[in-house]
Amino acid sequence: MERQRRKRPGPFSDAEELEELKELFKHHIESFDYMIDEGLDLMLKRVKPVQIFDSSSNKTLRIWLDHPEVYPPQKDRSSKTSAGALYPFECRQAKISYTGSFHIDVCFQWDGGVVVREKLNFGEFPIMLKSKRCYLREADPRKLVACKEESREMGGYFILNGLERVVRLLILPKRNYPMSLVRNSFRDRREGYTDKAVVIRCVRGDLSSVTVKLYYLHNGSARLGFWVQGREYMLPVGIILKALIDTNDREIYTKLTCCYNEKNGEGKGAVGTQLVGERAKIILDEVQHLALFTQEQCLQHIGEHFQPIMEGMESESYSTVADVVLRNYIFVHLDDNNDKFNLLIFMVQKLFSLIDQTSAPDNSDSLQNQEVLLPGHLITIYLKEKLEDWLRKGKKLIEDAINNKSKNFDFCSMKDVKKVMEKNRPTQVSAAIENLLKTGRLITQTGLDLQQRAGFTVQAERLNYHRFLSFFRCVHRGASFAGLRTTSVRKLLPESWGFLCPVHTPDGEPCGLLNHMTCTCRITSYYNSPGNIRDFFKIRMSILDVLVGVGMTTSWPKVDHAGPPQVLPVLLDGRVVGSLPSGEAEKVVAHLRRLKLAAASVIPDDLEVGYVPLSLGGTYPGLYLFTSPSRFVRPVRNISIPSADGKDIELIGPFEQVFMEIRCPDGGNGGRSNIFPATHEEISPTAMLSVVANLTPWSDHNQSPRNMYQCQMAKQTMAFSLQAINARADQKLYHLQTPQTPIVRTKTYTKYCMDEYPSGTNAIVAVLAYTGYDMEDAMILNKSSVERGMCHGQIYQTETIDLGDDKSKSDRGQRIFKREHSDRSISSCLDSDGLPHVGQVIRPNEPYCSTINQVTNSKRLYNHKGSETVIVDYVAVDTKSKKHLQKANIRFRHPRNPVIGDKFSSRHGQKGVCSQLWPDIDMPFSGVTGMRPDLIINPHAFPSRMTIAMLLESVAAKGGSLHGKFVDATPFSDSVKEAKGKTEAESESLVDELGSMLRARGFNYHGVEVLYSGVYGTELTCEIFIGPVYYQRLRHMVSDKYQVRATGQVDQITRQPIKGRKRGGGIRFGEMERDAMLAHGAAYLLHDRLHTCSDYHIADVCSLCGSILTTSIVQPPKRVVREIGGLPPARAPKKVTCHACQTSKGMETVAMPYVFRYLAAELAAMNITMTIQLNSGAGA
Amino acid sequence: MEGVSYQRFPKVKIRELKDDYAKFELRDTDASMANALRRVMIAEVPTIAIDLVEIEVNSSVLNDEFIAHRLGLIPLTSERAMSMRFSRDCDACDGDGQCEFCSVEFHLRAKCMTDQTLDVTSKDLYSSDHTVVPVDFTDSAGYDSSEQRGIIIVKLRRGQELRLRAIARKGIGKDHAKWSPAATVTFMYEPEIHINEDMMETLTLEEKQSFVESSPTRVFDIDPNTQQVVVVDPEAYTYDDEVLKKAEAMGKPGLVEIYAKEDSFIFTVESTGAIKASQLVLNAIEVLKQKLDAVRLSEDTVEADDQFGELGAHMRGG
Repeated sequence: MERQRRKRPGPFSDAEELEELKELFKHHIESFDYMIDEGLDLMLKRVKPVQIFDSSSNKTLRIWLDHPEVYPPQKDRSSKTSAGALYPFECRQAKISYTGSFHIDVCFQWDGGVVVREKLNFGEFPIMLKSKRCYLREADPRKLVACKEESREMGGYFILNGLERVVRLLILPKRNYPMSLVRNSFRDRREGYTDKAVVIRCVRGDLSSVTVKLYYLHNGSARLGFWVQGREYMLPVGIILKALIDTNDREIYTKLTCCYNEKNGEGKGAVGTQLVGERAKIILDEVQHLALFTQEQCLQHIGEHFQPIMEGMESESYSTVADVVLRNYIFVHLDDNNDKFNLLIFMVQKLFSLIDQTSAPDNSDSLQNQEVLLPGHLITIYLKEKLEDWLRKGKKLIEDAINNKSKNFDFCSMKDVKKVMEKNRPTQVSAAIENLLKTGRLITQTGLDLQQRAGFTVQAERLNYHRFLSFFRCVHRGASFAGLRTTSVRKLLPESWGFLCPVHTPDGEPCGLLNHMTCTCRITSYYNSPGNIRDFFKIRMSILDVLVGVGMTTSWPKVDHAGPPQVLPVLLDGRVVGSLPSGEAEKVVAHLRRLKLAAASVIPDDLEVGYVPLSLGGTYPGLYLFTSPSRFVRPVRNISIPSADGKDIELIGPFEQVFMEIRCPDGGNGGRSNIFPATHEEISPTAMLSVVANLTPWSDHNQSPRNMYQCQMAKQTMAFSLQAINARADQKLYHLQTPQTPIVRTKTYTKYCMDEYPSGTNAIVAVLAYTGYDMEDAMILNKSSVERGMCHGQIYQTETIDLGDDKSKSDRGQRIFKREHSDRSISSCLDSDGLPHVGQVIRPNEPYCSTINQVTNSKRLYNHKGSETVIVDYVAVDTKSKKHLQKANIRFRHPRNPVIGDKFSSRHGQKGVCSQLWPDIDMPFSGVTGMRPDLIINPHAFPSRMTIAMLLESVAAKGGSLHGKFVDATPFSDSVKEAKGKTEAESESLVDELGSMLRARGFNYHGVEVLYSGVYGTELTCEIFIGPVYYQRLRHMVSDKYQVRATGQVDQITRQPIKGRKRGGGIRFGEMERDAMLAHGAAYLLHDRLHTCSDYHIADVCSLCGSILTTSIVQPPKRVVREIGGLPPARAPKKVTCHACQTSKGMETVAMPYVFRYLAAELAAMNITMTIQLNSGAGA
Repeated sequence: MEGVSYQRFPKVKIRELKDDYAKFELRDTDASMANALRRVMIAEVPTIAIDLVEIEVNSSVLNDEFIAHRLGLIPLTSERAMSMRFSRDCDACDGDGQCEFCSVEFHLRAKCMTDQTLDVTSKDLYSSDHTVVPVDFTDSAGYDSSEQRGIIIVKLRRGQELRLRAIARKGIGKDHAKWSPAATVTFMYEPEIHINEDMMETLTLEEKQSFVESSPTRVFDIDPNTQQVVVVDPEAYTYDDEVLKKAEAMGKPGLVEIYAKEDSFIFTVESTGAIKASQLVLNAIEVLKQKLDAVRLSEDTVEADDQFGELGAHMRGG
């Protein structure tokens, strides 16, 4: 047995190892980098300039934006001099935002004269960590540690007010791909609409998008719907077709009907039917009825209708307006009207094919038709709108200034114009971005073509590394789907294979909506692998060249194409570029794939070659090529191309995957016939799982829901949360004191160096029913093990005291941190500066900080709330500003060693609560080794849950620890082994392999041992399964949850006990509990709970008038009573009178709930009297 | 059956004795006795361990409780423990742990002045009493002493400092595992193995071989001369019934018969080093005797309290 040398990553792991990890965060950072590098520039170019006309001077002022610049974060924002760099850890501690200043050149031009550029400060722009504007960008682990960061800081998030927030990835419809949809809501658009439409989400170069819908009408015609300023406008297709290019009816007719050929009949791949011609006629007739014959007439028609709603175009001609409409709202991803025309023809054909059921509708819930919204892109489009708003507002201000004659405003003076523009504070633009990231809410009029307004960002909690990592890997389907009653969106569809993890989704409310990307899944970006920005124009041109080279007929200028099945349309990023003989298609696809792999070619390695073959009523056929960013891609091995130097890893997307033949190691041939041999192969079977799901050992041996639970619980584990914990000021941080590395681990664990953040303990687990304290998923911990440090941990909690934002304004600036010298009672806790000593123990209700108002000399003590004794871990003060301290972070440590009621779990979805800390001597022990278990769980935990992997883990860990080596527990590894040819004589089963490990060390093959009762010393009648299992401590602890109350605070109005654990309230004894009591006939208990222990009240009731509100106590004249020593003074009888009856004759006392009295008072306020009729109990 | 005495006279035979390891046979008694001995060794033999830590300076990476906990777990030589007083019933100091009868004071001062990481180990603990010091493993284990520098408490980097005062007290493992002198105490019933020679003869050599190999531990072997299956090490048998199952599977039930002797036990004792293993056994017997005395006198508790002040409290405490 050679001792396996543990590969220790050491404090500074290799750059190579980090590279793997970096990949997981890359999409966030790259999208932000692109925005800084080029995105902002492009976006500014698309921001519409504003023009202001001054009638008095008869001059026109044009204002536009140019040349954006984002600077790295600086410390002193007010002074222009180069102050020190602001580092992220400082932001976290000072609870400020990690932002850099943002400048844009505002250009002014009067009447086409000289352009005057004015650099304006647009505020503080949030900077993503590890992006190109971040100081940590190029930092190696050593530098990172010097900057008080984790040695493996990966960035990808923002720091806002000291909190780390990530932008949540959202699913969007795939850009520039016409999707045929069937939705009932389309019917409600207007009279005559059907439920079918073809929808395309067009994305401009600056990432803003416009969705265009082509509806089908019952009469056979179609309408093109698009949104202008929050309203949908539907135009007949005919008008648009004619308006786009100079064409005639005949040409449109042939174009539309080219997809139908009588010869094809209803054969395979035919999409057109006879009806197409009829419909084409209807479309053309519609236009004719409107008396629109030429392009000019159509443009006039559109312009006339749209001029009122187009801002700033009141004076333009109709045809200019129409041009703008066509340019800004219809197929915005295309610049050329011919392209738009061709695309519209294609969409009409696809729509008709959908109607005729020669092609199937696309599923908008399937990943095939989806892409993802990246942080940089979201910020860009939001920023664009904010800048447009800002310009518009500026224009209005200037116009107001012109009209306001009283003011001395010179339109032609730069100084005056600038002064007016400054009134419209430019810094609010950045503030809006910061607000978006802080709250996750979009404040927008147009909606930005997004389905939701809130929930765009979340806080990246550092509870443990699994959780933190998952924030960057999760993809949300969209908040609008969360409320949906149907479950179809939540379904796990086969299309998402390899891209989204089938295991790692929460159960419960967000199930299926919040998914996680698999560990190999990547998002395409604007950067190619060497890190240069891609030139999409060049890429597209070269793809076109390749396509033409292999026999594609271009659609330029005007060629009549036949349709499927003879030829297939070719779409490149939503542009119809030509057609391909369908026989050639497969060869072309293979050629393209070869070029994808070839390093020398200009074809990008993540080009999506979506070849939809001819079928009978399947997806509309065609060759759809995508080069765009923010698509999902994943690597697979291309086995159809012979390649020697390992250059066979191809990146594929979800759209093409559906039509590809990909082999999986143990998938058999998957029912694949010989005609379709596999062209690709999965690299690893574990590639279908997310990082967290990949950490479950032998998850292929578990029942699937258990793996899902484990993914949840891994993220709630109290683990080694941070290495730079000393430089952190998080609200709450859980930390495990003595973690261990698991003996049984998967390859993923080593790949991502999870040893840096271990999350559990290898506990010796015995599976037996020993004391009865292990019933129902409870577990018994060995008291001595716990005393030796097992699962010890603590919570770090930080209190920030900021004298700057004191509520009372009068107080501001007067308070300082100080302790009153005279006050002896607190001098033991606090230093003279009003702050506690580090290491100081603070008990409940003791002060941990004291401030004094310098003027009024009034002191204020900050008392420790809660029922726990805490220890001051760290005190950080802000020394920079002013002469006195303004801010202090005081971090407390709550020791949290395991107690009864704390929650633990194995890595197999087997959670349990500690029910006893059992003495070591009473634990069963092994006669041979003397081992006592650390933990006892009940055997009933296994049969119904079928977590076989946990049993395997126990056996494997036992064997591994006996042999002194780690055991690889990568799931599906046996399938890979088999595929590689049976190198071993007979492929052993896993259990055999593990069993023989135990045998070699003289242990039972099956992992059982003879144990002796710790109490009696006699042999337990059966052999006990015992071995080490990696146990996680979950963050749910009784100390945070227990709630007790005997007496305490009551509600002011009802005098019932208050609710809420924090305030010492009670637990509601609700209706259902009441019902249970009634059902049992436990009347006394019921009365006790609901009355005596609640709002028991003795009311004085006037039996004459029946009122409880008119009584009042008359104070009897004070009698001098001689006090009898030791006895309480005799209670003077109260004298009560009724105000209404003016007598105290009929007064009675009645016990009632106090709310009843309250009800009477409320009713009285509404002028309703409540009278009570009293009679003695006997008579009732 | 009056007057019949059930008294037995247990015998102890020592097999192996090292400072931190002992193996002995206990015969002529029953499981209750053996288990009582085991339990007492683990949980009730007193030792001395650090119980109170006063930290003056701690700028290390570990927090105060963590260091205190680590200090507590360091085994201290506790030969004196039996004669020491429990702090809680120490007359001399009212149990505040400041007197020589019930406590030992330790000091630790360490500061790293170099760029090299400084290991603060149990060797840096200075005791006020030379009889109570951190256990030194160097000589007994035979490691190179330069390599073995005691138990690491914390590592310091340049500028970090640890200064503390610790008070060690007497205690028992029942109260906290740090006071347990035993790393492992276990016993097993001595097995009695009978091979049915006649039936064994009917087996072929391969069958015998596979029978021998069926036991994960080496209990049986084949005599190279006579080709007979012989019991080489009955005590290696772990009562795992593997050979019985094998015999059954071979269609020869009753091939071997294995019984556990009800009255003889083989004890294995491993000590943490606080007390020598041999002393641990003796102390355990002593404690056990005291406990039994307390039971015998319990009818007269008041008197017992006077007589066995410490033990009475001990009984009540436990």
